[in-house]
Amino acid sequence: MKIKELIKQDAGFQYVIDSMEFMSSAGRRAMLNSEFSTDADALEGEWNRLQATIDAMQNADTKRSYTDLRHCLMQLHDLQGTLASLGSHTTLNEVELFEIKNLSHISTAAAKAIAELGLSPALPLPDTTEVFRLLDPDSTGIANFYIYDSYDPRLAPLRRELKALQEHDGDAGRIGQLLAEQSDIQNRLCTMLSDQLHPWTERLVKTMEQMAYADFLLAKAELAVRWQLTRPHLTESIHYRSLWNPRLKHRNEELGLRYQPVDIALTNGVTLITGANMAGKTVLLKSVGTAQAMAQCGFYVPAESADTMIFDAVVKSIGDEQDEMNGLSSYASEIIKISDIVRRSREERMLVLIDEPARTTNPIEGKALVQAIITLMEPAASTTMITTHYGQLGNGCRRLRVKGFVEGMENAPLTPQNINRFIDYSLTEDQSDNVPHEALRIASILGCDEQLISLAQENINH
Amino acid sequence: MPFVADILKHRSLSIVGLEKNTGKTVCLNYILRRLNELRVHVGVTSIGVDGEQVDSVFATAKPEITLYEGTHFITSEKHYLVRQAVSELVAVDSRRTSLGPLVTARVLVPGKVLLSGAATTGALREQIKAFDSMGVDLSIVDGALSRLSLASPTVTEAMILATGAAVSPNVKQLISKTKHLYRLVNLEEVDSATQTKLNGIESGLWAIDEQGTTHDLGVQSVFLLGSESGNLLRHETTLFVAGAVSDRLLKLLTPQKSGITLIARDFTKIFATPEVYTDFLRRGHRMQVLQRSKLIAVTLNPTSPQGYLLDSKSTCEALSEALQTPVYDVKQIEQ
Repeated sequence: MKIKELIKQDAGFQYVIDSMEFMSSAGRRAMLNSEFSTDADALEGEWNRLQATIDAMQNADTKRSYTDLRHCLMQLHDLQGTLASLGSHTTLNEVELFEIKNLSHISTAAAKAIAELGLSPALPLPDTTEVFRLLDPDSTGIANFYIYDSYDPRLAPLRRELKALQEHDGDAGRIGQLLAEQSDIQNRLCTMLSDQLHPWTERLVKTMEQMAYADFLLAKAELAVRWQLTRPHLTESIHYRSLWNPRLKHRNEELGLRYQPVDIALTNGVTLITGANMAGKTVLLKSVGTAQAMAQCGFYVPAESADTMIFDAVVKSIGDEQDEMNGLSSYASEIIKISDIVRRSREERMLVLIDEPARTTNPIEGKALVQAIITLMEPAASTTMITTHYGQLGNGCRRLRVKGFVEGMENAPLTPQNINRFIDYSLTEDQSDNVPHEALRIASILGCDEQLISLAQENINH
Repeated sequence: MPFVADILKHRSLSIVGLEKNTGKTVCLNYILRRLNELRVHVGVTSIGVDGEQVDSVFATAKPEITLYEGTHFITSEKHYLVRQAVSELVAVDSRRTSLGPLVTARVLVPGKVLLSGAATTGALREQIKAFDSMGVDLSIVDGALSRLSLASPTVTEAMILATGAAVSPNVKQLISKTKHLYRLVNLEEVDSATQTKLNGIESGLWAIDEQGTTHDLGVQSVFLLGSESGNLLRHETTLFVAGAVSDRLLKLLTPQKSGITLIARDFTKIFATPEVYTDFLRRGHRMQVLQRSKLIAVTLNPTSPQGYLLDSKSTCEALSEALQTPVYDVKQIEQ
């Protein structure tokens, strides 16, 4: 799956790529078309290139070369159309020939900067000096282009005469004649140059792709430094120390709110996540999903340290408005997703993230469904995280509880506005089969109608 | 060689036609020829070619601006390929227009070209900056089809206004229409202290009290103004409009007690019709601008596309008398 498809299902990952700075639209396109990889060697290779780029970026001695490289990438144009024309033996016009000369010019300059940065192994660029030579018959060494006099012996005398006539308001008929002759010669030369360039098409395409990739890699490196991301370490399970969610952390910072990163370890089988409302269970699922997508797309991840593993896919059932837009009830769209997950889990090794399954139906059938999901997913090769408010599920799977609401955690009066400061988002292993009963307490803190709460309490007591 | 010396005091110049066929092209060609004789390094660009105008106006258009050796110019790929000048490409923009990407080139052998340039004043400012970095002494912007925004002093330092029989074959009306714009162009500029204070304000309607303190009147756009005009004057009688000055705003203010000073950003932001504007002034109010444009000359084309031909000499004189500034028929100067 490509990043452009992944971000449609993961707003957190969308936020990550929206935070990246690209020099060119080609670089952005390279990012959108890059794949979610399941190949450990490919990922290690990508992280090695990323680390090399980060190191080069931070090396004070080569700052100048880094600026030069960025400058080259800024001038990169998307020449897909032009190169397709070249590949199909179409005659290119002067503007298109200029674009090709310019690509060769900037990639040669980029290759020099890349070599100075010691990044040539990570970012090899094809040699296109022959292309440049064809389009620079006077050896000017600059990217400027026109149909030079030296391409055809008839051009120089023709243009001399044209110049003399133009400067002295000469005979319009003769000027027209010369312009037509020049146009014929130029058209013929454009065809000739296009033919000569044709064999270089593949190399030019490769050059453009590599330049676009360089832009992507630089953007990734810059993000890794700016956000202090961590290189993932491939193992056979997941273990994050201080995992954080980029979108939420930055939003909290903007609002002056506290953000608490979380430590989490996951193994094959099912891990149930329990905890009171507002304890960040859904956010935790999303954070794990986004970090996994980032890792397998060759990014560094938002954590202090990250052990992770390779999955065939990250699949989710996290309710959002999108489903209602599709005309399905929340229960219908959820059960379709879960059924798909269960089927796929027989074949694939997935990271499965399910948020409060069956919460919108009656609790008797709902609980039965959750128990069935756990029974099916526990022995599967996938790693499954399920958040739930149901207790007494009776399965022997692992449970993590968000510590949640801690009265007196802050030395301040509790209000709906600052409730976030009284929640401990960290996880703790839970041996019991119970879930926290804090819904009424939180409702009361939020200023909920007193009669409503006391009646609910009475109902429990009976 | 009238007004060319004045042009040279500036780094950028726009040529604005009050209507189509008011002789903008003749005027631009005249200026380019003179500047070439003076060996001034010129950069030429334009504004206002957009999709729907392309086919109807340019489908049959032929290159008509003569550019000289060494001149830098910007046009679209499509128009570049039909040029008659010999030139070398210097840059190609990564953004595409309906006529292909915009290209920048330098003339090697003089000849005619067809200009098509920026779509927005922001892009125009960028182009002028790029010209500066190419060693251009003077950037000239050819205006298109009744677009005034390019003449904003935030884009070009100086301007030339082209008028003519195409505006109206009736000399009286021609004078009245030209005079309205001329008055706006020459509106009095505020003092430099006020200028500094108001320059950074991007939007809204503001009052300035006697101490020179600015107060936001909480009006995001003058287009949204209701009947609270009296309330607008709760602080003082000096108001600053960061956006457009519309008929609606002037009509709201006109009946108020006399003595309002209304400050617009520059004349291109004033969209009031001559009648409403005149009423506003007659009531004893006045209009000022934050930044005044430098009008170098007014030119006249006595021929209209419908075939009307005004008497060049007497019309120039009458217009000159009304505007109190010299008016040139460029074709006459050339002869």
